[in-house]
Amino acid sequence: MPAEHRYLSARVTRNEDARLLTGRARFVDDVQVPGMLHAAFVRSDYAHARIVSIDTSAARARAGVVAVYAAADLGEYLTPAPLLVPPPPIPDVVFHARTHLPLARDKVRYVGEPLAIVIAESRYIAEDAVRDVLVDLDPLDPVVDLEAAMADGAPRVHEDLESNAAAKVVQTKGNYEAARQQADLIVRRRFLYDRGASAAIENRAIVAQWDTGAEELTIWDTTQAPIPIRNGMAARLGLLESQVRVVAPFVGGGFGPKIMMFYPEELVIPWVAIRLGRAVKWTEDRRENFYATTQERGQVHEAEMALTREGRILGVRDHFLFDTGAYDPYGLTIPINTQCTLLGPYDIANYDSRFTAVFTNKPIVTPVRGAGRQHGVFVSERLLDLAAKELGIDRVEIRRRNLLGPDRFPHNHGIMFQDSAPLVYDSGNYLPTLERAVEMIGYEQLRGEQARMRAEGRHVGVGVVCYVEGTGIGPYEGARVTVEPSGVVRVATGVGTQGQGHYTVFAQIVAEVLGVDVTNVKVVTGDTREFQWGTGTFASRGAAVAGSACHAAALSVRGKILKLASQLLSVPEDGLELKDARVEVNGSPERGLTLAELAGRANPLRGAVRPGSEPGLESTAYFGPDRGSTASGVHAVMVEVDPETAMVDIKRYVVVHDCGTMINPLLVEGQIHGGVAHGIGNAFYEQLVYDDQGQLLNASLMDYLLPTATDVPPIETDHRETPSPFNPVGLKGVGEAGCIPSGAAFAQAVEDAIGNPAFEILQIPMSPDLLFDLMTEARRG
Amino acid sequence: MKLDGTFTFGGPQESVWALLQDPAVLARSLPGVEKLDASGPDQYRGVMKVSVGPVTAAKFDVAVALTDKVEPSHFVMQVDAKGAVGHTKGTAVIDLAPVESGTEMRYSSTVQVGGTIAAVGQRMLESVGRTMMKQALESLDRELKARLANGRSAT
Amino acid sequence: MKPAPFAYHAPFSLDEALDLLHEHGYDAKALAGGQSLIPAMNFRLATPAVLVDLNRVDSLRSVSRDTTTLQLGAMTRHRTLEQSQDVAQMAPLVSAAMPFVAHEAIRTRGTIGGSLAHADPAAELPAVMLALDASFTLASRSGSRVVPASAFFLGLFTTAMEPGELLVNITIPARADRSAAAFDEVSRRHGDFALAGAAAYVVNGADGKCEVARVGLLSLADRPVLAAEVARLLEGTRPSKESIREAAEASAQVDIDPTSDIHASSRYRRQLAAVLIRRVLERAFLSLEHA
Repeated sequence: MPAEHRYLSARVTRNEDARLLTGRARFVDDVQVPGMLHAAFVRSDYAHARIVSIDTSAARARAGVVAVYAAADLGEYLTPAPLLVPPPPIPDVVFHARTHLPLARDKVRYVGEPLAIVIAESRYIAEDAVRDVLVDLDPLDPVVDLEAAMADGAPRVHEDLESNAAAKVVQTKGNYEAARQQADLIVRRRFLYDRGASAAIENRAIVAQWDTGAEELTIWDTTQAPIPIRNGMAARLGLLESQVRVVAPFVGGGFGPKIMMFYPEELVIPWVAIRLGRAVKWTEDRRENFYATTQERGQVHEAEMALTREGRILGVRDHFLFDTGAYDPYGLTIPINTQCTLLGPYDIANYDSRFTAVFTNKPIVTPVRGAGRQHGVFVSERLLDLAAKELGIDRVEIRRRNLLGPDRFPHNHGIMFQDSAPLVYDSGNYLPTLERAVEMIGYEQLRGEQARMRAEGRHVGVGVVCYVEGTGIGPYEGARVTVEPSGVVRVATGVGTQGQGHYTVFAQIVAEVLGVDVTNVKVVTGDTREFQWGTGTFASRGAAVAGSACHAAALSVRGKILKLASQLLSVPEDGLELKDARVEVNGSPERGLTLAELAGRANPLRGAVRPGSEPGLESTAYFGPDRGSTASGVHAVMVEVDPETAMVDIKRYVVVHDCGTMINPLLVEGQIHGGVAHGIGNAFYEQLVYDDQGQLLNASLMDYLLPTATDVPPIETDHRETPSPFNPVGLKGVGEAGCIPSGAAFAQAVEDAIGNPAFEILQIPMSPDLLFDLMTEARRG
Repeated sequence: MKLDGTFTFGGPQESVWALLQDPAVLARSLPGVEKLDASGPDQYRGVMKVSVGPVTAAKFDVAVALTDKVEPSHFVMQVDAKGAVGHTKGTAVIDLAPVESGTEMRYSSTVQVGGTIAAVGQRMLESVGRTMMKQALESLDRELKARLANGRSAT
Repeated sequence: MKPAPFAYHAPFSLDEALDLLHEHGYDAKALAGGQSLIPAMNFRLATPAVLVDLNRVDSLRSVSRDTTTLQLGAMTRHRTLEQSQDVAQMAPLVSAAMPFVAHEAIRTRGTIGGSLAHADPAAELPAVMLALDASFTLASRSGSRVVPASAFFLGLFTTAMEPGELLVNITIPARADRSAAAFDEVSRRHGDFALAGAAAYVVNGADGKCEVARVGLLSLADRPVLAAEVARLLEGTRPSKESIREAAEASAQVDIDPTSDIHASSRYRRQLAAVLIRRVLERAFLSLEHA
């Protein structure tokens, strides 16, 4: 294919940006339907309470209020939300599925749990009426802290269970006990990683409209999974799937919580719209987002690593508690990610990993960018750092000694991954990535200068950490590629887009195969009317899975193009070339047909379509990988710490990443930059602070701190490519890589900057207050 | 939130004790209390309006309970307040002891907050708590001195 | 986060504004830049029945100077102060503090009068006004009076303003010869509420001894405070590195009453106080040496 059309691995600017930047992109809150009503929810102010009564009479009487519903008004519709992810078939797994109701009945289990919905002419009136609803709650003692929730006699979130254990899972390989006996050093610590939110710039929103004449329901929803929402809501409402259309238009960031499905609001709003015969809109405000949208990241680990005196890892044992919140619709995805990701890029033969998922009186936990991988990386990288200190081995050297070599792939770890398949690393080459990162950050040079700088009163430190990331899992996605008679190529796929650049990367894949200009490929995502089979955008799988489906569909269309052109030009297929939106004869480019002409010829108004062929230049294809592919990378950071104020200045951030074949390096870098920003947030700023009554004390962006442009340094990136054998293009995911190792990297760097062996960072986030306390203690000790 | 401290009243311990048990006094001198009526033995219900900064006249329904009484030196006061801006639950352990200038009160209290004030007001909670405590105690001290000046003692 | 219903007035003159405030009493709140009031209203923490918008009262927006003072109208935007040459020349401590006041976008709406009347203990300008010994003109329907900054900030969000009064003007004495100013604060992110902050204004006498050492402190008590220990220990002396450090540490022990919140413990704030007081004094005295 001629070089100017080579879109694979090209830095192409995005097709969608002009619309986004000029305000012509439609988001759910932009949707206006004549006669539309507005919803506001009455939410619990207590984390754990019995519902004594809900009196909606005053609210209903307020001018401008059209209806008020509580659980009692939903009748048969009041059934629990589905379990979205059943536990993988791990031997002896204990799992208790407990999911939420559309509106709470009998009991509330977290602050913010919805009790009633008010429908009014405006959101202002709806909020006024929310205050009219008289809710009588009888408070119960809540459980907030994970260990307190597991203590004997702790109040139970789900009283039909014996304890607050939602699940218990054990995964082992080899024999850790035996390995432990052989060890020259055992490093053992307790690690804490605290809860955070995803804080997408766009909160959730839903508009539901029931067209009585057409008997069709349209739901605009900021979901990452329009197809499952369509299927689930159709079933619940007693409608045909074809009667329900779910549209996820432009969505301002997902990061995981928008793949949580069948939120109470998603269940209730369409029901109300059908009942009232008027469209209903609900736009979540930022304060609601802190309760109503799912969160993640609370875990407590007791972990140890056994090593030889040369620093070779003999085994790891990790027992941890995972906070699943008040309900567990998303199963065990997150903690299994933690279990698997802890092994990292290292050769670890013996592993004993156990976790208990714990119900607490806090909002529901579902994956947020990283989805449990951060925790595994934090534990293993911190243990390695602490071991390196005790053994007197350089921190980078100890990693070199433990990396899996390039001859060890595919590498089967023998434990189960979140997609119910064994954890197998498909391809990778870790050492060159580490060396490149070490070189870019100037590791050796800094070691030489550190003493001099400290003498000048400057505390500079560097952190280098390694990670792998399981990406691109099934089950499958699909795509339909169509060459229209205008010559424009249309691609439709079932996933949604939340800013990743699907309108560009899918276009690049197809443009590459068909020999057309990337700006002439129009991509449609997130509309069930356009494409009806698939799952959604999550777990860094969009490019690998949906992208592969686009590739397969494009190849099929290419086949049709060549076959038809071959007939029309009387030239064998292998004598033809696709270039610049034409099919031309090799060596005689003046002989050819445009794709537009071919598309017209492929859909004749006269002359039958022959048996075994289809009209038009269109194909639909599906792609379902056997298992996910394993991306990897190394982060290196340089920080300077003010020892008097404990404030940390991030001087440099280096990422060397391997996500297999890159479709568009510009967008890969965008994902990395965004991920790193999230990682800086994880490491220093983001912490949902709950008091012991389950009250969230920082339910606003004033106190829940996200890094801003002034807090994120320029990010230096480099790439390595070990293509995945699991899909034809060799793609691996990159959506979450930026935030997975950041906590570990910064912990290592800040410890290095302080330089006091008594100073250890064992928890995330590192607020200046925490660092100050640790520094003060270390100076004393 | 924890609020611990001491305050010296300018009067004898018995008078201070009597003052603190009298709902009419509490209603008059606690800042923002509009009414406080007995609803049972050592139990009171009423209405409070609190103003802090931009928050003007936030209305709370209050319930007060006095327990663990050891006259005249020790008791526990529980205050539950519920309003549109949130709810609070405070438990204060009060100890009185004579000192040269009068009576020293030691208080050790924990306050839980919920609702909007918890969600967006955490930065100010301790300040507000201390300010309200200070205002309440100073007001009670003024009431005490007025009573003593009028020649009334333990009733 | 929609506010409760309210009535809205936008007078064009100060007299009209004062009349409205008098008429509605406790039901009314004055709206200046709205950067604190509107969020409080959207959270429904504040539910004033009446808003009196001051943004059309042009007479309240001004920056002017005479030989001995800088005069600022209360509705002058932060951004105007930040960019004003008059402010930079007459009261450089104000200019030094402005970049720390929230973010640029907020500074285009927020006003000095709003900031001072709101009296948030974490605000920069109240501490600056204390350090500069400013005075405030308060107007009501019955007349006007002048209150020095030192008597204005009475407690948490509490000022000497009576119901029906508006802060209309701020008078700052012109900077003395042989004076220097320095401002610093620690916040978790640029633009956040300060965990602790210090605003220093120092003057040397003709004999080279320190004549004035005023340091206003923010976020370290329920109101802005002056570091009295600093003045006591340094005024009348020739400050050295050691004496500055000792004064800073002494002040951090006795002049402040920091609280704890989820961002910083009172112990950490006290440590920050000692460091920040020392740093602003060092910077201010150093620039005097170079002058």
